[in-house]
Amino acid sequence: MIRKIISGNEAVATAVKLARVGLTGIYPITPQTSIIEKLAEMKAQGEIQTEIVRVESEHSAMAATYGAALAGIRAFTATASQGLLYMHEMVWWVAGSRVPVVMVVGTRAVGAPWNIWNEHTDFTSERDSGWIMAFASNPQEALDLTIQAFRISEDERVFLPVMVGMDGFILSHTKTNVLIPDQEQIDDYLPPRRQPYVIDPEDPVEIGNMFPPEGYMKLRESIHLALKNSEDIIRQHGREYNKKVSPMIDYSTLNSSYRLEDADYAVVLMGAWAGDAMEAIDVLREKGIKIGMLRVRYLRPWSEKEIRENLEGKKGVLVLDRSTSFGRGGPLYIEVKSTIRDTEVKDIVTGLGGVTVGKSDMIYLFSKFVEGIKEDVTWYYPKEVGKLDVRTPRDIE
Amino acid sequence: MSLLLDYQYFPITKPGKGAGGKTGSWRVVKPVVDLSKCIGCKACFMFCPESTIVPKGGKVTVDYEYCKGCGVCSNVCPVKAISMVSET
Ligand code: SF4
Ligand code: SF4
Repeated sequence: MIRKIISGNEAVATAVKLARVGLTGIYPITPQTSIIEKLAEMKAQGEIQTEIVRVESEHSAMAATYGAALAGIRAFTATASQGLLYMHEMVWWVAGSRVPVVMVVGTRAVGAPWNIWNEHTDFTSERDSGWIMAFASNPQEALDLTIQAFRISEDERVFLPVMVGMDGFILSHTKTNVLIPDQEQIDDYLPPRRQPYVIDPEDPVEIGNMFPPEGYMKLRESIHLALKNSEDIIRQHGREYNKKVSPMIDYSTLNSSYRLEDADYAVVLMGAWAGDAMEAIDVLREKGIKIGMLRVRYLRPWSEKEIRENLEGKKGVLVLDRSTSFGRGGPLYIEVKSTIRDTEVKDIVTGLGGVTVGKSDMIYLFSKFVEGIKEDVTWYYPKEVGKLDVRTPRDIE
Repeated sequence: MSLLLDYQYFPITKPGKGAGGKTGSWRVVKPVVDLSKCIGCKACFMFCPESTIVPKGGKVTVDYEYCKGCGVCSNVCPVKAISMVSET
């Protein structure tokens, strides 16, 4: 293994290389573009054999990736924001077809209005599509989770696609120290691809043709059960990754915790701002406030078991959502609140569209929470927002 | 590969002939292959829009259940081995 200072996007490209991906369907969209630029560069220099298919839209990027996967090739694509929404239909087709595929989403706000900065709404809005959904908190995790994604996706007990989320710009573009596994380690960890069926002219199959209601519903239940069962399989492959590749980050659980065991209060969040939260927790701990953090690493499968074990019995749980389910607060909040009983759960929606929420904001929010905030969902703006200068172009009579 | 897990289903089926493409009684001409002339080039097989030309033993036959009598096969045959015969 070697250490290199690289960005999250480069870490993902490196994972794709190490996983010996056979085809990448590409369409550039900020902030994911440099993943495919890096792959194209590797291809030009002869470092990878991946077929790079340039297409005219994200819908086609997923379709090309899907087609290659159906033919038995390890396939990858990446997208963000409007691009993910544009491929939404194909996202469902891939999951419904039960074919292993891996995608990285460099999370970003969704228009209107136009905004290229980070939030998680694009990612969380796919949570009902039948994909396994991991979320990284640093470039190292982006690399590790992308490699594990192939292993999980191609497990015969799963056979579902996996998407790995990564905070746009915050992780995709900032460089940090990343431990890069050797090819031999990954070859040892990641066996040759397995999949439920292939398209083959010698032995043709019809894929996704008309199914009667009961048969269709049975297929839906099959996805549900495979997704539920994937919980243990993710832990199993995580432990194996720790053993064969790197013990640096503990992947034996679906979520990661910080100073939670003896904590009275817990904070739940997902993604890169876990770093700020950890620093804020240290400050509050020094002041005698016993607070800890649970970072969600897998939104799907949602481990009710881990969430309960970690959060039940706490005096209060504060969820920080970087995405929205309009009229209901944050998606993470809804998940947590529906999982734990007898514990007070509050939600803060913030950080949307690139709003910066740092350590001092976290200290403020966490202390306010411990003091007792009233509302269930609070929208938090770190800076004063002036009167927005937006209006309809003409007065309505 | 063994896929023995009883909760695993995949949305695939084996292709077969559908009832939708059956010719019924409306075809007016049918292609008849003169096997003594046929050189087995499979041009008719390639061009038949209904995939009803069946390669068989180096030559071809026609699946009349699905042939619509369009005459494409007859037109593309380089040795004029297929003639269109009236059915009315
Ligand atoms: S007549 Fe038309 S449908 Fe029938 S075998 Fe020839 S090409 Fe096919
Ligand atoms: S095109 Fe004519 S020669 Fe060629 S296979 Fe068909 S019938 Fe035979």
